Amino acid sequence: MLNFSLLADATDHAAATAIGVIQPAVDAPDLKWAGLIIGLPALSALLCTICGAMRVRSKLPAFITIVALIGSFVLTCMLFQQLGQGAPRVVGLFEWMSFSWGNADRFQSFSAPFALYVDSLTLFWMLFVTGLGSLIAIYASEYMESDVGKGYTRFFGGVSVFLAAMATLVMASNLVVLYLGWEGVGLASYLLIGYYYSKPSAVAAAKKAFIMNRIGDLGLALGISLIWVNYGTVDYATLFSVLEAGPTAGHGDWMPGAIPFLLMLGAFGKSAQIPLFTWLPDAMEGPTPVSALIHAATMVTAGVYLIARMYPLFALHEDALATVAWVGGLTAFVAATIGMAQYDMKRVWAYSTISQLGYMFLGLGVGTTFGAGYHVFTHAFFKALLFLTAGAVMHGFAGQIDIRKLSGLRKVPGFRLVSYLALLGCLWLSALPFSAAFFSKDTILTAALGSERSDFQFLGWLGLLTAGITAYYTFRVWFRTFAGPVHFEAGDEQHDAHDDTHDPHHAPVAGLSLGAKHDFHPHGPRWAIRIPLILIAIGAVAAGWPAYNVLFFHGENWVQSMIAHSSAVAGSGEVHGQDVLGLSAHLMTSIVGSTACVIGIGIAFWMHLADRSAADRVRSALRGFILTRWIPTTLENRWYVDEIYHMMFRLPLWAGSHILHFFDKTVVDGFLVDGTGRVPVAVARLFQPLYNGVLQGYAATMAGGFVLIAGWVFWIWLRGNG
Amino acid sequence: MDPTTAKLTLIAPEMVLCFGAVVVAVLGLMQNASLRRSVPLISALFLALSVVACTWSYSTDAAESSGLLLPYLGSFAKPLIACIAILLVMIGGTAVDRRLEAAFDSGRVPFEAVRVLRGEFHAFMLLSVAGTMLIASATDLIWLFLALELSSLPSYVMVAVGRHARKAQEAGVKYFFLGAMSSAVFLYGFALLYGATGTLQCTEMAEVLSRQAAEGGISTLAIVGAVMAILGVSFKLAAVPMHFYAPDVYEGASGPVTAFLGFGPKVAGILALILLLSMLGWSGHAAVLNGQEVKLQGLPAPIAAMLWMMSVLTMTLGNIGALLQRNVKRMLGYSSIAHSGYLMMGLLAGPEAGLDAVLFYLVGYGVMNTVVLAVLCALERNGEEVETLEDIAGLRHRQPLLAWTLALAAASLVGLPPMIGFFGKIYLFTAVLEQGQTALVIIAAVNSAVSVFYYMQLVVLPMLAQSNPRSETVTAVQSPWPKFAAVIGGVSIIALAIFAQPVFEAAQRAFRAPSVVAASTDADASKVTHTITLDR
Repeated sequence: MLNFSLLADATDHAAATAIGVIQPAVDAPDLKWAGLIIGLPALSALLCTICGAMRVRSKLPAFITIVALIGSFVLTCMLFQQLGQGAPRVVGLFEWMSFSWGNADRFQSFSAPFALYVDSLTLFWMLFVTGLGSLIAIYASEYMESDVGKGYTRFFGGVSVFLAAMATLVMASNLVVLYLGWEGVGLASYLLIGYYYSKPSAVAAAKKAFIMNRIGDLGLALGISLIWVNYGTVDYATLFSVLEAGPTAGHGDWMPGAIPFLLMLGAFGKSAQIPLFTWLPDAMEGPTPVSALIHAATMVTAGVYLIARMYPLFALHEDALATVAWVGGLTAFVAATIGMAQYDMKRVWAYSTISQLGYMFLGLGVGTTFGAGYHVFTHAFFKALLFLTAGAVMHGFAGQIDIRKLSGLRKVPGFRLVSYLALLGCLWLSALPFSAAFFSKDTILTAALGSERSDFQFLGWLGLLTAGITAYYTFRVWFRTFAGPVHFEAGDEQHDAHDDTHDPHHAPVAGLSLGAKHDFHPHGPRWAIRIPLILIAIGAVAAGWPAYNVLFFHGENWVQSMIAHSSAVAGSGEVHGQDVLGLSAHLMTSIVGSTACVIGIGIAFWMHLADRSAADRVRSALRGFILTRWIPTTLENRWYVDEIYHMMFRLPLWAGSHILHFFDKTVVDGFLVDGTGRVPVAVARLFQPLYNGVLQGYAATMAGGFVLIAGWVFWIWLRGNG
Repeated sequence: MDPTTAKLTLIAPEMVLCFGAVVVAVLGLMQNASLRRSVPLISALFLALSVVACTWSYSTDAAESSGLLLPYLGSFAKPLIACIAILLVMIGGTAVDRRLEAAFDSGRVPFEAVRVLRGEFHAFMLLSVAGTMLIASATDLIWLFLALELSSLPSYVMVAVGRHARKAQEAGVKYFFLGAMSSAVFLYGFALLYGATGTLQCTEMAEVLSRQAAEGGISTLAIVGAVMAILGVSFKLAAVPMHFYAPDVYEGASGPVTAFLGFGPKVAGILALILLLSMLGWSGHAAVLNGQEVKLQGLPAPIAAMLWMMSVLTMTLGNIGALLQRNVKRMLGYSSIAHSGYLMMGLLAGPEAGLDAVLFYLVGYGVMNTVVLAVLCALERNGEEVETLEDIAGLRHRQPLLAWTLALAAASLVGLPPMIGFFGKIYLFTAVLEQGQTALVIIAAVNSAVSVFYYMQLVVLPMLAQSNPRSETVTAVQSPWPKFAAVIGGVSIIALAIFAQPVFEAAQRAFRAPSVVAASTDADASKVTHTITLDR
């Protein structure tokens, strides 16, 4: 039997020395060039805007974006090369906000310079953000080609804005700049979800994403404000040193306790956790590369980043971390159950993203920032792979994404590679033993199961159950779509008229929606889609390397040492845990997790490949029995969360707004405004006859006015003297 | 520098303009069409030259030794007048006798020097501008009277000849008669002031009046004289009760002339009032009596009460009058009355805080008013002037740039941030508030709110309303200059708001006392602290 406690050796020389100590930051003015990591995508966004203004009708915007993103990636690698796991560097770029007020007795100042804080957590995040960003941009250059022109430019402009904002978020040296990036990625996400703005559902989804994120952002903004009020700084380095100096008295007792909860709300919004998760499935209205990049691999992990970055604050409050754990564990479970009953491939992956993000929060909550960070890393690759393969299918089948209408794509010419890469992604998502995700999920669940708190142990078991569900719904999709007999219906996406001119090797698809679907020939992806897919698949496999290194070579886990040299050091240690049911937590997790994975895949195989009618039989059996009737309907309707929100928030607001509107129309506008407006008009009518245009009349009125004014002066004069 | 040389140095800009008027008047009669066409350009050049002359004359020690009551007033007022006048020349350059010139060009009509108007129009305009500038450097009441007349008389002619319509001649006659009446009133007031003080020199009169004030009150005769002078001059401002002419004349005159009337006479009136009131003594003044410095009470109570009442009535009547108007020019006539009310409020506040705000407000008002009329002048409907609100409905669809500029100027007239109008009102209202005139500020704020009703029509109609059959025939005029002027003005509405601080500081400097006096007080040099030593 292999040594499953793969972390035991690693921590001895890597993390043990650094646990609990955040290295003080060092000013590094010589690293100013690192600003280009943000600057290049920003420049690219500007150039894309210019392209838009000049009505460029070529792939130039894609080219600009790809070059800029690869440039950012190379610079990040250089930065990594130079710093490695050294002390955090603070790189001041320029003065941004700086106010001071008060006098000498009580001098107050607030400053938030635009500066970078580069430590190993920053680098860790930036490496996969810029790396995946570059690959997905290459992919998108082919995926979006039917929109070459205005839409294409807008798309790549949005992607550039996103990357610039994400880099700002991750590299910020203080919370205000982080907030700037946070809002920037929200904006980019909004713009890109609403990319197909002529589709009402896309517009609604964009608004929903934006508004739900606003709720979270309010929490973040309040949290940042309270941090400033309580600790007197928003700067990471200063904040960490203040926190290390010991708990400060602050302004009242509630404040330090409230801060992590407020920050958490922001993280839940951005990372689509309960209660703010319903926007993410709808966000799939955006183009698929956007789903892969923003809504799976990078932006949604910003919440994890925030908590990891602010971990010293969270570590002060056990309740805060427990809340994070509970929210994460429950989200993982709920989203996975919903994922079982969806028919839209991208939505299944969206729910699986929510579920996997839940695991990451669970990891943070139970105290293993390493597990959470590692899962972010592995998840970024395999989830990007899953989305991009789904995108390749969509691209080839004119927008078809319903798993009931696609089957056996493995045997369709041009889709063999896509199918097997999708299989790889599915296996990784199901946490196949010895895959990268297996190790990362294992770390989180071990920490939960091995915890001393019984509620965390419950969450651990829930997580294992979720792992089984995950394996089931993942392979439900794969067996339905890629395996089995060949059968497909094309989607009704209208390609532009120039579609067949740029793509000569597939049959014209114009007129598809006119019932000519039997003439449809799916077109397989070309190199710009294939190469990123292959590279990301290699990345997904290689993401297991840090664990293999520990397992087979007794080296150190690279991710672990990266996390250990950052502000999330507190949870980066080895996960020992108590024994569970007589076995060590590691062993227990591995065995139960592997079994759950296999069982899940097995059930999926039986119901969706071996005997496809079985799924319907199970469904009708569940519906036939009174006690289980609710299960399929509730899952298909996504636990009615949207409906509940509608009832709880939208309906009262809607009613309230109509009442206020009525009040505004009749009382404020009708009576107060128009009424007030009528008074001067009436007075004006009164004076109208005076302005009759007759010269003598004017002269007489002037003289009269003169006398009146003179009389008034005389009266004042008399009163003053008498 | 001896006082006479100093005074002559200070009026260098006026001399430039008078010379320019002669040149322009002659050029306008030339048979050569291209020479005639160069008239607007030449007058603009002379105006620019006068700005240069201003900066030169006030950089010498002329202002120090001229013995003026407010020696630096002209350093701000004169360039302001000249700059706005350049915009006005751009608006009205070719508008005056466009049809006649076209007829000459086509050869249908032989050239007749008698019928040509352009030269005299521009000459009159330069003369009127020169008259307005002269007020700023007036040393005595005779000078003040002549300067006021020089600024008024040409404008009567401009109203009458600016437009080939009966309405214009009617407006010109009305303007002339009522103007003559007001001149009679303030001339009589000047005579009474002379009788009360025994001098016509402004500085001497101020000394005598402050002595009277320190000894127990200004004499009744002087008060009566001041009341008449102020009421008479308020005609130039179109302030109550001398405001009746404004709507008729604004409507009757041609667009460019309306733009001129909205600004030139207003500046003239404000400058004259500043001069008159500074002789009566503001609260900043102090007199040394028997070796003791006596702080004066400020304006005599009756005068202050009169200004208060005039200010309130002017802004209120102006605003409610504008509400009913469908003719934009008539509406602007009423709105200019309302703005006079705001300006008088600042006069009441005195030199401590109010006067710099008044001058700053004048800058903003001049630009905004000129922009609105420039937009109207840049449009025509079948060769006729565009005047009514119906004409500008849906302007955005045909002339987006002009529509945006109009909306910007109107929003600025309301006083919306971030435009110059907002800063003008803020400076003015806070200045008045500092003087403890809370009630006045509240009345002014309510008036501003009322003004939203009619100004917003200038925003809503061009931007949001649908075109109607009438407005669909509206086109841009051939000459690009009015449009250009509108855009320059529109840009400065924003730019002046951004650079409000330096402009405001320049306005503050305009009220600085001669350095001889300022050196004796350690107070901020920008504030006036007249200390008049009385030897008795």
